[in-house]
Amino acid sequence: MAVSGMHLTRIGKGNFLLEPLRSMNIADQGRLMQEVVAQVRQGQGARLYYDLNGLPVIDPVYYDWLSNLARTCRIVNIEMICINMEPTAAFALSGFLSGKPEFATALAVPD
Amino acid sequence: MQKKETSEKLATLFSLKIGNISGQLEETGRAFFCADTMLMDEDEVADLSSEFVNLISGLLSAKEPAKRTIPQFHALEIFFSELAHRMLMRGGHVEDVVRYAQQLQYSLIAALERDSGVVFTQSRSVLLYFAQLFDELIMAIFRTYLGEREKTLKAQEMELRETSTPITEIWDGVLTLPIIGTLDSSRTMLVMEALLNRIAKDHARAVVMDLTGVRNIDSQVSHHLIQMVRAVQLMGADAIITGIHPEIARALVSLNIDLSGVTTRASLSDGLKEAFSRMGIQVSQKAG
Repeated sequence: MAVSGMHLTRIGKGNFLLEPLRSMNIADQGRLMQEVVAQVRQGQGARLYYDLNGLPVIDPVYYDWLSNLARTCRIVNIEMICINMEPTAAFALSGFLSGKPEFATALAVPD
Repeated sequence: MQKKETSEKLATLFSLKIGNISGQLEETGRAFFCADTMLMDEDEVADLSSEFVNLISGLLSAKEPAKRTIPQFHALEIFFSELAHRMLMRGGHVEDVVRYAQQLQYSLIAALERDSGVVFTQSRSVLLYFAQLFDELIMAIFRTYLGEREKTLKAQEMELRETSTPITEIWDGVLTLPIIGTLDSSRTMLVMEALLNRIAKDHARAVVMDLTGVRNIDSQVSHHLIQMVRAVQLMGADAIITGIHPEIARALVSLNIDLSGVTTRASLSDGLKEAFSRMGIQVSQKAG
């Protein structure tokens, strides 16, 4: 499915996989969130798996983007789950995170 | 008049064409490295003496042989530093190398005297020149020794840290991490790094951190511990802390550390049961 800067793929019933590309511009997050949610709803998705594989660091700016996307998803009853978080990213994020994140986490997409 | 005479001897030394004296210096090398210690064979000692003669000839024939910044002096420093390194690697003692350098100084002066016919042993300026030179070279030996010691200590410290926090996969997808001893910030960071990498490598779904062996904890370390739990959870694994001593529990409360998002159990076995139950694993006794 076409959302600029990412691959959004339907994986099984109700599940979508979001794989961000290097070209993804999170400065334009309003438009991105709207397009992602629209696509997932159109496909009657209930869960959005956000693949963080290969992302070495999550800084506050990127965390804001993830949080905003997760909140937007929650409003329309979609659960966002971040998967494949790199150890370095987990370390960086745990350094400034004060409470529970807005999104759920998992090692990978469940079998 | 006497001063002039001694300066002349030093000038003679610096203008000397040194012949083949390496054979005379080999005896010193053999005494220190071949006899009881067996650190070198005779051929190696011959090469060592020959290399030393080349280097000392280079230094004495340099434009300013008393200067410590010239490349010829630096080459001699490297020669002794490498010799010390080689001997230490072979199980020798630094004392052997230092005593060898000291003895080499006397042997060299005697050999130069025999080679040239000039009585250098009676010249205070020549003796002083060599004493200062060899003092510097012995310093190079000690620097190498201290560097090696430091490297060994660091390696041992690293090994001790790794062995004191063994991360074991006790079941498919369940890691246990017993922490023993004092937790300081650097150790906590090291454990965290190893643990997160292991979760990624083994796709672990639960981590049981056992603090039974931890008696003291401070504010900084408790924050690191919470950070470690949070990082484990962010990677998608469950973190369970077990074996918190009453002293640690009291310290955590007085430090205002919020453990509400952390699963805790009294003992390692309870922690494992919790991990198994979350993963839907049931361990039961064989019937009959």
